[in-house]
Amino acid sequence: MRCLESIAYLFPRIWRTLARGPQTVAYPLSPIDLPAGYRGRVHIRAELCRGCGLCVRDCPAFGLELEREDRETFRLIYHPDRCAYCGQCEESCNFGAIYLDNDFVHGTFNREALIEVLVDRKRTNK
Amino acid sequence: MNRITVPIGPQHPLLKEPMAFQLTVEGESVIESTLRLGYVHRGIERLCQERTYVQNIHLVERVCGICSHVHTTTYCQGVEALLGLEVPLRGLYLRTLLCELERIHSHLLWLGVLARNIGFDTIFMYAWRDREIVLDIMEDLSGGRVSHAVNVIGGVRIDLTEEHRDTILSQLDLLDKQVAHLLGIVEHERSLKARTQNIGHLSLEDVRRYCVVGPVARASGLNVDLRRDRPPPPYDRLTFTVPVHEDGDVWARTWVRMRETVESVRLCRQILTLLPDGPVAARARRRVPAGEVISRSEAPRGEVIYYIRSDGSDIPARVKIRTPTLTSLITLPTQLEGVNMADVSVVLAGVDLCIACADR
Ligand code: SF4
Ligand code: SF4
Repeated sequence: MRCLESIAYLFPRIWRTLARGPQTVAYPLSPIDLPAGYRGRVHIRAELCRGCGLCVRDCPAFGLELEREDRETFRLIYHPDRCAYCGQCEESCNFGAIYLDNDFVHGTFNREALIEVLVDRKRTNK
Repeated sequence: MNRITVPIGPQHPLLKEPMAFQLTVEGESVIESTLRLGYVHRGIERLCQERTYVQNIHLVERVCGICSHVHTTTYCQGVEALLGLEVPLRGLYLRTLLCELERIHSHLLWLGVLARNIGFDTIFMYAWRDREIVLDIMEDLSGGRVSHAVNVIGGVRIDLTEEHRDTILSQLDLLDKQVAHLLGIVEHERSLKARTQNIGHLSLEDVRRYCVVGPVARASGLNVDLRRDRPPPPYDRLTFTVPVHEDGDVWARTWVRMRETVESVRLCRQILTLLPDGPVAARARRRVPAGEVISRSEAPRGEVIYYIRSDGSDIPARVKIRTPTLTSLITLPTQLEGVNMADVSVVLAGVDLCIACADR
């Protein structure tokens, strides 16, 4: 009886699995489907950034660095090699300047090449 | 008869994480065993004293790779208590939803590991296939399969639209069916029973003596579950049963875990239907008033305890983490006594080891 039940369970499933085709994606030849909230690389809307440093202070992996001379002269530097993709910077920023998108391809042989200057703000009216 | 010593670990195909056993074997049975831990000690507790309360959320998330969310939940719960902060109900519901999804994911993963260890690969495939449904739900919710980064001090940072809620509910329908089937396998499959019944026995006295928690304790007849005994909101508004078994062997643990999975699916559905409107998080101050707190939650493996002491700054003075695995780990020498060498793998799988958790 159990045997018949197992067969009745198995066959529709085998059929469905076969009919569904491969579940893998030929990445990178075809695009992959990522959820909307996927946490990938950090990006910035540079015009909104005020250099307040909250994101730097809250980053758990020391992935952000702020070199600040005064209110209007600062550089915000991002180190993807340290980043934990946690999204805390996006959560901490009060101005909606920093955000994560779903770009996750970071492969390189050179760590230094990854570093990105997100904001390079200089005083305009000297 | 000659006694020989068989070392298992620190690196061994049986173990998913490093730990070491020395088994003294006479013929085919294990006479004695000793246990060595500490291979994945990462100093997380000490590190917590170097980082701010906000940074620590992501640090404690790394304590465990399977039940990461329950660790941040317990930690945030503690900090919120110190702050005297009231978390909005919607935030609590969403937090709990993730906790329950994580329980399903953890138990299905564990069933796969057990099946693999007894050489029953079909169940392993089924369990891990069904686990993908939960992982998909969690990824859609939080953006990550295992590290969700959902909790903030004061609530959560995700929200749910009506549409998304309906999608999850339909995914849960599918999961319900699959989990019921898996439970059927556990209850009726003869080869699974033959490999797991009367093995790794732990009596109720031993459970009490070693302060074992979670499914291992419940499988030995100890009726404890923090979600029911001291229900943090929203558990006090949800209905569920706590499965308990008297046998205390590996099969009983399997049964308890699968029954819990069924209950968790039920809980997820209740949470989604009862989900109140409102904000998901309250704003928290960065400096935490001086004081100390003990925060507890029912993780998939049992009760996890956080002790947090604050000196009034934005960095905790002490964070102490008691993970549930530690309590079941120390019962292993008792469980392994007299066990056949071929069953060692089953006993090891039965307690659902998470070494990284225990070592921190
Ligand atoms: S995502 Fe997390 S780790 Fe990465 S820069 Fe932002 S806060 Fe730091
Ligand atoms: S990104 Fe936001 S938080 Fe970071 S420095 Fe700029 S304004 Fe401040």
